[in-house]
Amino acid sequence: MKSTILKKYNWAVFFMAMLGVVFLILFNYIPMFGIVIAFKDMDGVINITKALAEKPFVGFKNFISFMNDRKFLDIISNTIGMNVFQLVFSFPAPIIFALLLNEVQHLWVKKTVQTITYFPYFISWVVFGGVVISMLSPDNGIINVVLQNLGIIKEPVSFMANPDYFWSIVTISGIIKGIGWSAVIYLAAIAGIDLALYEAATIDGANRFQRMLYITLPGILSTVVILLLLSISNLLNSSFDQIYMLQNQLNLSRSEVIDTYVYKIGISEMRYSFTTAVGVFKSAIAFILLWGSNMLSKRYLGRGIY
Amino acid sequence: MLKSMKKFDYFNYIFLILFSCITLYPFIYVLAGSFNQGTDYMNGGVYLFPRVFSLDNYKMVFNDKRLYYGIQNTVARTVLGTAAGLLFTALVSYGMSRKDLILKKQIYWFNLFTLFFNGGLIPFFLVLKIYGLINSFWVYILPNLYSVFNMIIFANYFREIPEEIHESAVVDGANEFTIFFRIYLPLSKPVMATIALWIGVFHWNSFFDSMIFTTEPKLQTLQLFLVKLIKEASLGQGQANIRVPAHVLNTVSITTVRYAGIIVSSVPILLVYPFVQKYLVKGVMLGSVKG
Repeated sequence: MKSTILKKYNWAVFFMAMLGVVFLILFNYIPMFGIVIAFKDMDGVINITKALAEKPFVGFKNFISFMNDRKFLDIISNTIGMNVFQLVFSFPAPIIFALLLNEVQHLWVKKTVQTITYFPYFISWVVFGGVVISMLSPDNGIINVVLQNLGIIKEPVSFMANPDYFWSIVTISGIIKGIGWSAVIYLAAIAGIDLALYEAATIDGANRFQRMLYITLPGILSTVVILLLLSISNLLNSSFDQIYMLQNQLNLSRSEVIDTYVYKIGISEMRYSFTTAVGVFKSAIAFILLWGSNMLSKRYLGRGIY
Repeated sequence: MLKSMKKFDYFNYIFLILFSCITLYPFIYVLAGSFNQGTDYMNGGVYLFPRVFSLDNYKMVFNDKRLYYGIQNTVARTVLGTAAGLLFTALVSYGMSRKDLILKKQIYWFNLFTLFFNGGLIPFFLVLKIYGLINSFWVYILPNLYSVFNMIIFANYFREIPEEIHESAVVDGANEFTIFFRIYLPLSKPVMATIALWIGVFHWNSFFDSMIFTTEPKLQTLQLFLVKLIKEASLGQGQANIRVPAHVLNTVSITTVRYAGIIVSSVPILLVYPFVQKYLVKGVMLGSVKG
């Protein structure tokens, strides 16, 4: 009996797949159980395993102290605010970009534009952030020079030192860095649309704008919906690298987000339980957002992620 | 109607070309500044080409010990991390792609669940601490060995390879490992190239893990060095012993030295990008077409 089971199943293949499972247990599932830290008081402990076993549960104490934190409102409004900015401006940008690129008839123009606009995606935020900071610098930064020459401003503006500009800087720099690459997925979706639809529409007398509006857009709608749902569920996730690079002491009131706060308080000040609670709080809201937006999308658009 | 379409085309081309220039220009701006003498740069007006050519900014950057540690660690993690990550993920994906895998559905869900849920930064940090990976070079390699996203792309690709090839190899007496290494890997060169590049770019660009999982300067990566260079208020703050001639120190500026640092740490990507661009894009198509 045993030997037939051994023969029936392919154990070598099982072994290979289990390598992945072991990896996920070590680096994903065990940390998930670390969530209990949020319900204990382990701030500042040195021996983690010992503290994990011995410290008593304190319920939602860490969550309550996060909500009573004087920075709580700032952090939440910055995190959501910047993401809403991104949802309104950065989300549609690559769709429009892909549609425009799709209308280009000269292949070499299309290829050149693609090569240039994909490039920043592969540069780190450290480099790109450094470039953005120097472009915006009040000492002869190119943006200030151009704005002064156009007569829009009289004195150089310290863009990075004024908290009010921060959200816009994050949004615009994010669009420039990511628009080309984000458009790839829409271009792939456009390439998948049946050409016969365009031919039929042309015969029926549809012009280019009508074909764009009635064939291309509906053709990529399901891709758009899926990516929209995913970005809604990411409403509390920030691009850490980007915000950390652009952040400084002067703009902190508008630039501190959950992710940067967790890093500063959790790692440097060793407030493990407090920041794990912040992380759990974030995951819970992300889950509710994904579930809720998926449900709404299923009801009103007839499709969801799952 | 024809006229308005022409107008749209003009507008479209001008817009796209202008946007490309806006994307490209910052890099030219930084490149020009990095080759310009520091004190002269402060007078403004260096936009396209260096006005007073100088290599002093690069001399300053190359005088910083942290740069050498950074290059060492970044090159080591990029080479080792890419090779190990690629091979490990490909091997697991081969197992995942086979139809005769036991508990196939359960293992798939076990993988997919991690895409939607994780413990957060602090539990991850503490677990790495327990494993002894904090302040170890291996923290760059081990946690990045496997990626569920890349596994899905690999497995999809492996499934496209005709089953007859596998069958005939089995008839010839090859075991699964031989089939993977001798047949499947050589047949998947395009997808291997794409994923290798993604992993490579990830390793080259990451600084977050270096910043939180290491405290020793000898273990820190090139990008983290650049973070410090950009965030430092003045020159030489982190440079233990500066062995630069006085006339260089008097003419460089923190801004232009930063530019030199930016260029040095992005040179490899600048150099290879035009040649590998098509492989980078291919993977998105592979992933998105099959969902």
